[in-house]
Amino acid sequence: MNLTEKMRQEAAQILESKEADLVIGWGGGEYYWQSPPLFLEDAAGAAELAFSPFIVNNLAKYLLEELESHEKAALFVKGCDTRGINRLLQDHRIQREAVLLIGVPCAGLADREKLKAAGYDAGLLQVERQGDSFILTLEGEEGAREVPAGEFLLDKCLECRYPNPLVYDRLLGEEVQKPRERDPMARVREVQKKPVDEKYAYWQEKLSRCIRCYACRNVCPACNCRECIFDQNAPRWVGKANQLSEKQNYNIIRSFHIAGRCIDCGECQRACPMDIPLMEINRKIIQDLTELYGEYEAGIDPTDVPPLGTYRAEDPAGFSER
Amino acid sequence: MKKIDKSKLEDLWGRLAAEQDLFLPVQQDSVVNFALWQEGSRVNLEAVNSLLPPKDLLFPQSEKIFSYKRREGELSFEEAPGSGPQVIFGIRPCDVRSIELLDPVFFKEPADTFYKNRREQTTLVSIGCLEPDTTCFCTAFGIQPLDAEGADVMLYDMGTAYLVSPRTEKGEKLAEEMGELLEEAAGAEEEGLQQQQEAAASAQEHGLDLDGVFEKLNDMFDHCIWEKFYRRCLACGTCTYLCPTCHCFDIQDDGSPEEGQRFRCWDSCMYEDYTHMGHGHNPRPGRRERVRNRFMHKLNYFPKDHDGVYHCVGCGRCVQKCPVNLDIMQVIEEIGKEGVGGEGHDR
Repeated sequence: MNLTEKMRQEAAQILESKEADLVIGWGGGEYYWQSPPLFLEDAAGAAELAFSPFIVNNLAKYLLEELESHEKAALFVKGCDTRGINRLLQDHRIQREAVLLIGVPCAGLADREKLKAAGYDAGLLQVERQGDSFILTLEGEEGAREVPAGEFLLDKCLECRYPNPLVYDRLLGEEVQKPRERDPMARVREVQKKPVDEKYAYWQEKLSRCIRCYACRNVCPACNCRECIFDQNAPRWVGKANQLSEKQNYNIIRSFHIAGRCIDCGECQRACPMDIPLMEINRKIIQDLTELYGEYEAGIDPTDVPPLGTYRAEDPAGFSER
Repeated sequence: MKKIDKSKLEDLWGRLAAEQDLFLPVQQDSVVNFALWQEGSRVNLEAVNSLLPPKDLLFPQSEKIFSYKRREGELSFEEAPGSGPQVIFGIRPCDVRSIELLDPVFFKEPADTFYKNRREQTTLVSIGCLEPDTTCFCTAFGIQPLDAEGADVMLYDMGTAYLVSPRTEKGEKLAEEMGELLEEAAGAEEEGLQQQQEAAASAQEHGLDLDGVFEKLNDMFDHCIWEKFYRRCLACGTCTYLCPTCHCFDIQDDGSPEEGQRFRCWDSCMYEDYTHMGHGHNPRPGRRERVRNRFMHKLNYFPKDHDGVYHCVGCGRCVQKCPVNLDIMQVIEEIGKEGVGGEGHDR
């Protein structure tokens, strides 16, 4: 049985037995790269679930709204997604008993942009993972082609440390062994090396692209405030004008607000339509926090205390010293 | 017909830019957007669609209406400076059509003077698409990827040169500015164009069927179909801000009682505060109502007021960039499947 079939069977069983009254998973779309989040209340709908190397959406955040109208929600979670679950648990935004977690080990997801750059977009019907390869189903005579998966993985998956779910009730498939192929801090160090003026120009250029669509915030499991300050009207903390200062203000405040709580899932950068390297900012903050308060990874253990969530007398005194 | 050799484009842009603002699709990192041309700009005429539509050049994301100052009790106002002539070079036929869809909105009396001034001084130089993107579906709206009806000058890509076809008075004037950079096209090139056009005419239209969608929606405000789509929506503004036809704006003040400005800026019907009333009520309280509104506006409300013309040009930007794959083509297909007055009405 392949993973799609397992997902469908699992979902149907959960809904039939009323173990949960909602299942959140991924469906299919018209294009090979589409994998829209799917919401099921009825076992008959389970046939719409589809596993593919594009199941990138972290479904955890949907719990915030869906649990207002459901008793218990089952959802499919990859390793990175479970850090989002832990984030919501630790922030007391969901209760563990209200969720049923079906873990999906993940050896990395495919990047449509990389496929496109290699000339595979038009006429590509389906992408499937097989061991270390992607099998591309192509329109026309050739039929199928095997390509090395590593060349077409999302950057964030090359930097992944947790391919297996950290918390789950059930696991679909075998745990995967996936070495981290790239150091996620390498880019941070590279940007950091730039002289101050150059660094400023670099960020000016990147952030000037921001259109303030708030996709980064809306997709982020750490951005789970009941009311976001950027949505408040009176007072309005950040102006609506399309100005660099407002864009900087928004992006910098958001990254500071999730400091120590960012689970390093990279969803903000993935969702950004303007291709702004937001994770470079978030990881710079992770790096700073490590320097100041010691090694800490958010969303690993929901019972620990985030570095900025506590006070210790020996904490660095901050401004005066630096 | 005249033609311009691609090797002469830099000269051409230099010449045009000396007379007016010239905007071209420019590559910045991984992103192609319309930007003011300067010598050395990395122009990319191969990318089918710019990431952001060029609507910003007629209807900026943020624009000053007036500024004010109070000095010793005297209040003075200053109007926003007017705009000058501009050329949008390399605009694709779908985006040209989107401007034709914005015109009646902003020209309707009382006309929007900011838009009108810009529009009247804008010359559109369009390049036809020989190879549309996989997410393009302009033909479903009757747009021809090779030809933009509303362009002032149409360029046809013939490999090493563009055939140049001025269409309007503004277009003729621009062709004059091009002067000796234009050459007489050879017969073979004109034949080549004919072949391209014949091939385009016999190419299949996008399979998306819009028949009856507008009429069906008259009766689908309370249909359960919206349940299916809204739940995945993140309520971000990506689809609206990347859309060449979305045109909602907000008016805001910025400054102190002594000095400041009033400006308008794009707004998105996906945002909570879009319909948040001063007394606290919000007639579109949730994502269900907001998602429905966006599609109803594109496919029903706008056509209702504009002779049945849909407010979508099939550029595919929202399809490509929606982080949760809320795909307008899928929405249209699902609406098409619904029978008028059938099950699902009155959820």
